[in-house]
Amino acid sequence: MTVRAEGDDALLAAVATGDREALAELYRRHAPWLVLRLSRRCSDPGMVEEVVQDTFVAVWKGAARYRASGEVPAWIWGIGIRRLISRLRQRPMALAWAHTDDTMVSAEDEVLIGVEHGDLGPALSRLSPELRAVVRATVLDGLTTKEAATLLGIPQGTVKTRAARARRELREALA
Amino acid sequence: MSTTWHADPSVLALYAAEDLDDVRASSLEAHLLACNHCRRALAPMVPTPRLDAMWSEISTALDAPHPGLVEQVLLRFGVREHVARLLAATPSLRLSWFLAEAFALGSAALAAHHSSGTRAAGASLFLFLVLAALAPVAGVAAAFGPGVDPAYEIGIASPMRSDRLLFIRATAVLIASILIGGVAALALPDLDRTVALWLLPALGLTLTTLAVATWLQPIAAACTVGLGWLLLAAAASVATTDPLAAFQALGQVLSMVALLTSVSVLAHRRSAYEGRIPS
Repeated sequence: MTVRAEGDDALLAAVATGDREALAELYRRHAPWLVLRLSRRCSDPGMVEEVVQDTFVAVWKGAARYRASGEVPAWIWGIGIRRLISRLRQRPMALAWAHTDDTMVSAEDEVLIGVEHGDLGPALSRLSPELRAVVRATVLDGLTTKEAATLLGIPQGTVKTRAARARRELREALA
Repeated sequence: MSTTWHADPSVLALYAAEDLDDVRASSLEAHLLACNHCRRALAPMVPTPRLDAMWSEISTALDAPHPGLVEQVLLRFGVREHVARLLAATPSLRLSWFLAEAFALGSAALAAHHSSGTRAAGASLFLFLVLAALAPVAGVAAAFGPGVDPAYEIGIASPMRSDRLLFIRATAVLIASILIGGVAALALPDLDRTVALWLLPALGLTLTTLAVATWLQPIAAACTVGLGWLLLAAAASVATTDPLAAFQALGQVLSMVALLTSVSVLAHRRSAYEGRIPS
């Protein structure tokens, strides 16, 4: 395989025209971190591999829809995490949520309110692993409450209460 | 895009081993989205064989044939993938077949319009009913066997029972034919009970064809049943001077009898398809 020097945006534009080599180069650049990042969210290596494959097939099919913004990795991650969630929905690893609720209140907002100041790192470290997982899914991965619930295998209501509790603890730690 | 700060190699190693604490891992993940340098430093931590294996799966997926329109529609309706492929490969489930059937029935309906009120009215209605009744028979015959089925050899080798394969395809052809016949019947000049008279004979003839096909090749079975019925219907018209004689009460009852008889024949002889009529 030849190594290509173009930027990600240019490669993606080439993929949109059906350039398989460009996809190979994108895969070389972005598959490794995607594998590792997904592995931290899904303990089944086989499923991680399926998700990575799904993601790059989706990149191949959806390259034309990408609007050049220099944010290819974030775009790929957005596809990857949602593919993981749809796989989890077909094959849940934890129990399905006890009660469903279609309102999509972003738990991200709930956590971030009141956390503009102070040193976040130590405050986050003091959160329990369950609360941190919710913060990670909602704030860092940018998932909706429903998506976070699927990813973590807990009910949506639990995502909301944990997000609220994380916010309260963070606010206290940063005060 | 890159920043001046870069993650320490030991941090990357811990991250790859899933040993980095959540807070630092999250921080690194945010950095990785923006830092080409650190992404490249992280890449060797994933074993190359694993990446290559995934890439070959991706290549396979990209090379896979795109399902055709019929197949996509079937998949959308929840038909399983292998069944959809089988149905899409059925010659008489192709667009050209449907167009031909729609054209034939449409022409007959048009002729019925033109002759409406004249002495030929009964004859053109007879033509329509005969075409509508025989269309699914022809469709079922054209769905199977060497020479007409592009998936014939694949069917021989398929691990599915021949009778099951045959019934799946026959059902699909029957449904499609009846739908087209039903729509065409709406174009007839007089929308009374005569427009539905072909339905039971069509079912009876199709089932009889399938039953006879346990002895003969499907096309021979369809010709035998179709021509035999056509002669009877024509003879009945001439004998009773009612052009629709074959579709009146006696004809409907006989169709029902043929249908039930064929079902029991099929129930007993379905294994006769095995190895002979693969698909």
